[in-house]
Amino acid sequence: MVDHILRLKLALLASAFRGAASAVRALLVLLLAGAVGTALILLAQEVRVERGDHQAALVVVASSIALGIVVAPLSAGLGSALEPRRFAAFPVRRGELALGLMLAGAVGVPGALAVTLGIAVEIAWAGTEQAGLAIVAGVIGAILVIMSSQYLVAVTAQLAVTGAAVRALTAAARLTIALALAAAVTAVLLVQSGDDPDGLVDVAAVLASTPLGFLWAAPAGSDTEIAWRLFGGAVAVAVLVAAWPWVVRRIVEAPQRIRSAPAIRGLGWFDLVPATPSAAIAARSVLYWTRDARYRAVIIALPVAPALMMVALAVAGAPVPLLWLIPVPVFALFLGWFAHNDVAYDHSAMWMHVAAPIRGFSDRWGRVVPPLLIGTPLILLASPLAALWSGVPEVYPAVVGTGIGLLSTGLGVSSVSSALAPYPAARPGAGPWDQPPLLGAAAGWTQSFTLLAILAFMAPSLTLAVMGLLAEDAEMLEMAGWAAGATGFGMLVLGILVGGVVFRRRAPELLGLLMRT
Amino acid sequence: MKPSAKKTARVTPRATAASSSVTPAAKPPRTPRAQPDAPPVVVEVVALRKTYGSTVAVDDIDLTVRRGSMFGVVGPNGAGKTTTLSMITGLLRPDSGTVLVAGSDVWLDPLAAKRVTGVLPDRMRLFDRLTGAQLLYYCGMLHGLDRSTASSRTEDLGVALGIEGSLNRPVRDYSIGMVKKISLAAAMIHSPRVLVLDEPFESVDPVSTAQAIELLQRYTASGGTVLLSSHNMALVERVCDSVAVIVDGSVLAIGTLDQVRGGRSLEERFVELAGGRSAVEGLEWLTTFSD
Repeated sequence: MVDHILRLKLALLASAFRGAASAVRALLVLLLAGAVGTALILLAQEVRVERGDHQAALVVVASSIALGIVVAPLSAGLGSALEPRRFAAFPVRRGELALGLMLAGAVGVPGALAVTLGIAVEIAWAGTEQAGLAIVAGVIGAILVIMSSQYLVAVTAQLAVTGAAVRALTAAARLTIALALAAAVTAVLLVQSGDDPDGLVDVAAVLASTPLGFLWAAPAGSDTEIAWRLFGGAVAVAVLVAAWPWVVRRIVEAPQRIRSAPAIRGLGWFDLVPATPSAAIAARSVLYWTRDARYRAVIIALPVAPALMMVALAVAGAPVPLLWLIPVPVFALFLGWFAHNDVAYDHSAMWMHVAAPIRGFSDRWGRVVPPLLIGTPLILLASPLAALWSGVPEVYPAVVGTGIGLLSTGLGVSSVSSALAPYPAARPGAGPWDQPPLLGAAAGWTQSFTLLAILAFMAPSLTLAVMGLLAEDAEMLEMAGWAAGATGFGMLVLGILVGGVVFRRRAPELLGLLMRT
Repeated sequence: MKPSAKKTARVTPRATAASSSVTPAAKPPRTPRAQPDAPPVVVEVVALRKTYGSTVAVDDIDLTVRRGSMFGVVGPNGAGKTTTLSMITGLLRPDSGTVLVAGSDVWLDPLAAKRVTGVLPDRMRLFDRLTGAQLLYYCGMLHGLDRSTASSRTEDLGVALGIEGSLNRPVRDYSIGMVKKISLAAAMIHSPRVLVLDEPFESVDPVSTAQAIELLQRYTASGGTVLLSSHNMALVERVCDSVAVIVDGSVLAIGTLDQVRGGRSLEERFVELAGGRSAVEGLEWLTTFSD
């Protein structure tokens, strides 16, 4: 039976190359995996473990790659994942099934990468006194990665009961892999640049105390530490292996998880807000922001954009502390800008607002509440930290003012543009990364024009902030902050009023536009 | 309490003004039962027209619907029923013509007209992540109800339409028939003077249809007005007292049910008006079998 499952796994792997499109995809995945594996082996030979920063980078890279490997099976979409439940209908002895699945999990790209990772760690420590310990750590680590991945697949397969959930899981897995690779690359670049290894050492120390990194950090440290870590790793492997047959049996025998929406008592957000049209629209909007995958995708993606910008600029050689001034304004800008197509997300459900005797500003105002609720606290919390880390004295007022200003101006401009020129968006119920059937050229115009308008309205205070920054003039920075905040407030009020008038005038045309998508 | 007081204060003067402006000859009746013979006109459509490019979807339609009436708009697929009803409810802007609902021009004074209109559109989405109860409450809020009124009406409508057990589930989990029922409830929650229902009974089971019809009949008996479209002739014949037959964007027959059907069944009369005979010609090959 075990060899049957292994043969099935090999057949599944081979099937990835059938058909031109999937063969290209499989080749790309193989290329990526091959590149990662080669990079691991090559880098491992460069590592001088006696240097603190190299050791730290080793822990960071190994931990992030391990994380990537653990979630890798999910990134393929679970379609061909060998998870226990699929065998529930066959008369297979549970013990054999468990063994077969465990072995099958080691076959394939993630398994190969896990082994490569273990070998890379061993190479890094080769020739030192701890070489023997590193081999033990590498072996245990590789097994642990493969087993964790198996457990993760088994558990998530139980969660992935709807198409939307599968897409969300796949997207989350891919995002995790991308972030893990980015973290690994950043660690390597930081070591190569040679400056500021303290941060890296701190991160490595934190990782070393988590399940993710303790084995990769094991060969270093005092004798008792080493003993404890290896012992802990061995125990973890033993527990995972011993519990696996039980988990398989339980999953196979327990009844299928049925997606039953829990009955919702009361009215949720509607109970918390005043009984007015604007407040009801705001509550409905908040509910969609928190529950609809299309909005959630944005909430997940928003912090990534500033982070990527920072990494890119840091790699290009910009001074790192100063880069901390980027995240807050960029986040605020995109959050405000995102609202520019909000009505399109309603699709034809917008008829309720058109058929109701509501004023235009009720609709507009209700829609800007969720981004304000999400953005304002984040900006207020992140600004002091960003100002502190940037190392620029007295920059705080400018950061917080610019953040609030960009967010509010963005929402004001979006209030007008979403009533004026919405374009097709993914339909309700679609996955977060689904594209609408037809986008059209109007989309590009609306997107870029909205972004430009926000920047144009904010240009005076942004210029002031940059000038203050260059001149290191505290007074000018403070003035820039106030100017940005005032611009934001004015543009938000103006945008909601103008947007309201436009909405009321164009409501039927707007509905027609949304229905055509 | 304050909002509900405001609501009554808002509606009463308009109602009197509306009736007097539409039927200047007749005194506005104090109670719905005062003048059973000539109830005032509640929905008046004059020369309504809508074209899409060179296609005329609605061709200068006139309709008059009196208070307390259950008015059925029937017609073949693509006749312009939905287009007409959308223009009456303010969801689609007409090229020309006027629509008066309770005396207010839908396209000149939309807020006043929309306050007294309840809408059930065909093939439009709902905010289906909300639960049924949330959706009805939302609709109540949009129409200016206060919290306690919206909540108690939600319960009442749930019971009346037999969906009280599903009100705490998200609308996206509802079946098509249940979506129709919750839409009907949403259209009625603000106790409008006029209900405009586009295909309200499509894919609703017979028991629920009977329930909904009973609800609508109680509504019209107490002075409400229903304007509905359907292509189920038997149903229209059973529940409606007045009918308009629309074919290719024009009204071919309008009046009370008996006037329109002229002693035959509505279905026969409808097929005759819609010119169904001609379509069968030219298919002689279908009657000569190949073997």
